[in-house]
Amino acid sequence: MVSDALCAFTRTQKILVLSPDPTLARLFDAAFTPAEAEVTIQSQGRYAVETLFTDPPDMLVVDAALADIPGPTLVTMVKSENVYRQLPVALIMDEAALGTDIDWCAVEVDELLTRPLTSAMLRARVTLALARATRSLDANPLTKLPGNTSIIGRIQDLIDRKQDFALAYADLDYFKSFNDKYGFSRGDEVLMMTARIIVNTVRSVGGPTAFVGHVGGDDFVFILGIDRVEEACKAVVASFDGIVPHFYDADDRDRGFIQSVDREGHRRSFPLMAISIAVVFNRDGRLKHFGEASQTAMTLKKKAKENPKSCYVLDKRQG
Amino acid sequence: MAEDLRTERKGRILAVRDLPTLPKVLEEVSKLVERPDSTTEQVAKLISMDQVLSAKVLKMVNSPVYGFPGRISSIGHALVLLGFNVLRSIIVSTSVFEVMTENMVGLWEHSLGAAMASGAVARMLKLKDAEEYAVAGLLHDLGKVVATVQLPDLKPEIERVVAERDCFYLEAEREVLGFGHDRINAWLADHWKLPANIKEGLSYHHKPHLAQLYPEMACVVHLGDFLVRSFEYGFSGDVGVTYLQPEALKILKIRPADFENLLDELSGQLVELADLRFT
Repeated sequence: MVSDALCAFTRTQKILVLSPDPTLARLFDAAFTPAEAEVTIQSQGRYAVETLFTDPPDMLVVDAALADIPGPTLVTMVKSENVYRQLPVALIMDEAALGTDIDWCAVEVDELLTRPLTSAMLRARVTLALARATRSLDANPLTKLPGNTSIIGRIQDLIDRKQDFALAYADLDYFKSFNDKYGFSRGDEVLMMTARIIVNTVRSVGGPTAFVGHVGGDDFVFILGIDRVEEACKAVVASFDGIVPHFYDADDRDRGFIQSVDREGHRRSFPLMAISIAVVFNRDGRLKHFGEASQTAMTLKKKAKENPKSCYVLDKRQG
Repeated sequence: MAEDLRTERKGRILAVRDLPTLPKVLEEVSKLVERPDSTTEQVAKLISMDQVLSAKVLKMVNSPVYGFPGRISSIGHALVLLGFNVLRSIIVSTSVFEVMTENMVGLWEHSLGAAMASGAVARMLKLKDAEEYAVAGLLHDLGKVVATVQLPDLKPEIERVVAERDCFYLEAEREVLGFGHDRINAWLADHWKLPANIKEGLSYHHKPHLAQLYPEMACVVHLGDFLVRSFEYGFSGDVGVTYLQPEALKILKIRPADFENLLDELSGQLVELADLRFT
């Protein structure tokens, strides 16, 4: 673990500052140690654009008083590029200029730094903006659950600490045909429902340290103590099966299946959705790497999928 | 009634923030939720005995915040989806009836009885998800509670009209408020994004034959309301028994023999219910 990195960041954060102000360098030096943040200051906006697009920083700080390009224009250039939308951007302004007409909803900045600046305030604001970006970057946009980076981080951390745990991978059977027939917004409703069932069940069974993540689409992950996982799986399966029929139209629900088009383009019937869960155990530090866990889980999931009904499969070799 | 007065009253109705319930109910639920070994089923069973808490739970789970408005009509499902954390906040945000208790106890009992009767009818007819019929039965007079809380000065007026004219509470509401609790129910159901089956049960329980989407739901609640009145359990605001729409029995295909069985079963259950004391 890198102990001198800024809060939870595992590596030095790159901060690009665009400003003609010579005093900023001193302020940043006082605010961050070199291990925490590598700060580059450029006085011209134009030259910075190329760097920005080829070697993007972790955070961009733009002075509104930039000489060649207006700060907000530069921010819009960067933010309109989808891969940089999540890049945290701070705007530096004179406090006195705040009263002027600025359309804050149109300016895509994430943080505002006003002169007079102090290094303490600079450190606090910049760190918060970086932390905020990390949180929102990895949250699933639909369910707001932690995404892949957090999931992998959590699992690898438990493996490194040789802690016993059960890792469950859950996904839905026939979700695609539901989505195809009813449209993606109805599909999203099902994903939100699934997320809430898993979160509430796993927390109530596994306590506050239990973890739930959303890999994406209809794939979810949860982690809890080995002795509690089967109880959680049973409860998730029971709740899912009880609730999911309510997400179908009444006639499909009564029929017990839907008509949709399969991958080959043929019309066929699909059963109501079910949830499949594959559980991998880490006992006595057996797992060395996250990849082993996910690979075992994928093999097990195929087994769980053979059953069209909701079910869970435990990794027998260690279970 | 002037249209703007009606609109203003509707606005006041929908602005309802806090629906109070009986102190004892709230106390019981709070105790159960704080116990570490309580199960969702136990809590759901208790919540299902109180129309205010049930309405709040359904309102919450069907709110667009959670991403599936209008989908959940069962208290058990709602609790699984909300989690105990949200449930605790619902309990904290519920106040108790200090005044008007006597009247509210009567309505509380009437609602509980109607829930039980509606559930029993649905089970007898082997309708799917009988619990949802019980929920609609429980909530069928919610509009009366909301009107009492939001338009408190008009409550004595309604009661005066009932006494003077010897008419039904619903008719008096229409005269004094400009609309009945069935209409209030429909507004609330829309506003809170309750599922369509619950909405029809709540808004058509006095005219079940007019329900379009879920006539069975409306008819079951109508019958449940009628039955609990005939057993004189609780107090709905009316002294007598309302008219039973023959169409409701026709729609539900209930034969006279079924009806007798139902009455037998209900009388037993109501005796048990009468032992419950929540005051």
